[in-house]
Amino acid sequence: MEILKDFGINPLLLAAQVVNFFILLFILKRFLYKPVLKVLEERKKRIEESLKQAEEIEKKLQATEEQSEKIIAKSLQQAQKILDETKQAAARMLEGAKETSAEIISDANVKASEIVKIRQVMLEQQIREHAGDLIILAFEKIIGKRLTGKEQKEIIEEEMKNIS
Amino acid sequence: MEHGIVLKPEILGFYKNFPITNTLLVSWVAMAILTIVSVVATWRVKIIPSGLQNFVEAVIDWGYSTVEGLSGKKTLVLFPLVMTFFLFILTANWLGLLPGFGTITYKGEPLFRSVNSDLNMTLGLALLSAFLTHFLAVRYLGIKNYLLKWVALNPIFLFVGILEIISEFTKIISLSFRLFGNIFAGEVVLSTVAGIFAFVVPLPFYFLEIIVGFVQAAVFAMLTLVFMILLSEKHEVK
Repeated sequence: MEILKDFGINPLLLAAQVVNFFILLFILKRFLYKPVLKVLEERKKRIEESLKQAEEIEKKLQATEEQSEKIIAKSLQQAQKILDETKQAAARMLEGAKETSAEIISDANVKASEIVKIRQVMLEQQIREHAGDLIILAFEKIIGKRLTGKEQKEIIEEEMKNIS
Repeated sequence: MEHGIVLKPEILGFYKNFPITNTLLVSWVAMAILTIVSVVATWRVKIIPSGLQNFVEAVIDWGYSTVEGLSGKKTLVLFPLVMTFFLFILTANWLGLLPGFGTITYKGEPLFRSVNSDLNMTLGLALLSAFLTHFLAVRYLGIKNYLLKWVALNPIFLFVGILEIISEFTKIISLSFRLFGNIFAGEVVLSTVAGIFAFVVPLPFYFLEIIVGFVQAAVFAMLTLVFMILLSEKHEVK
């Protein structure tokens, strides 16, 4: 044990170092390892949680996007349908309008021709009346005397027969 | 006392019968530094770390993941022991490189001396490491399985058991003398080089000693960890 003396080994100092170590172990456990490991664990958990949440949010976002796409497609379809229906309805209306206008025009034609006929008849009548007067006037000039009403009538009737 | 190569730590004074050596004083300083740093760093632990907390977290995380990679389920028990060995030895080694060590004197003796250049300190740590290793082995295996590691009816295994008992003592010696030898040699080299020319020339040796201080602390802690894991594992008896 000479060598131990050369190195200055002292049991008290050995014991002191052991005690030192245990004190340090206690202090570090209390003030260093526990709080730091705790906070590390906590942070790890939080990161995991937020990653999970982010994943969920992404999933939800995807779902919503799909849904909105579906909705848009549906509404587009509906719009197309409405447009088609409107076109058809418009075409039908146009057709109907054409028909009615044609009817109106032909009606108007008929009426106009009737009116023309009536006018013609009326004109003929007027002409006849005037023609009677003219005939009498001409007759009076020719025979040089005025005719009575009775004579006038007879002459007009006779002439009328000739004319018609 | 001039710069001599002294194996024994210098005794600064006595508290009753208890000798207070300069190495013991420095080990108290190292403890105080570690305590202050850990208390300050974890004074208000924040979920978003900054400054000292950030640094301390990085160190602890590194140590924890290293221990966890080797010991698995036993990490919670082993980590504080191993990490304390590491931090204490590292702090003590680097503290010994500061100016004032060996140069400031008190009653003719150097006031500060690197902790691990005293065999008392390293042997104390090594004995403690061995004691804790065996204590944990008993705790994990139970007293019967623990004893079965050393004693067996089969003569070959009985011999192996004896060899293992011897190796347990060699472990203590190798742990303590490795640390002591490295740090003591570093001290001697530094004082010698500084004695030749005190400016600039010692710088490379200081860098070397920084590395040696880290490596020795890591080696001591890792060996302790490995011994603890190996001894607390079940011995396969066929």
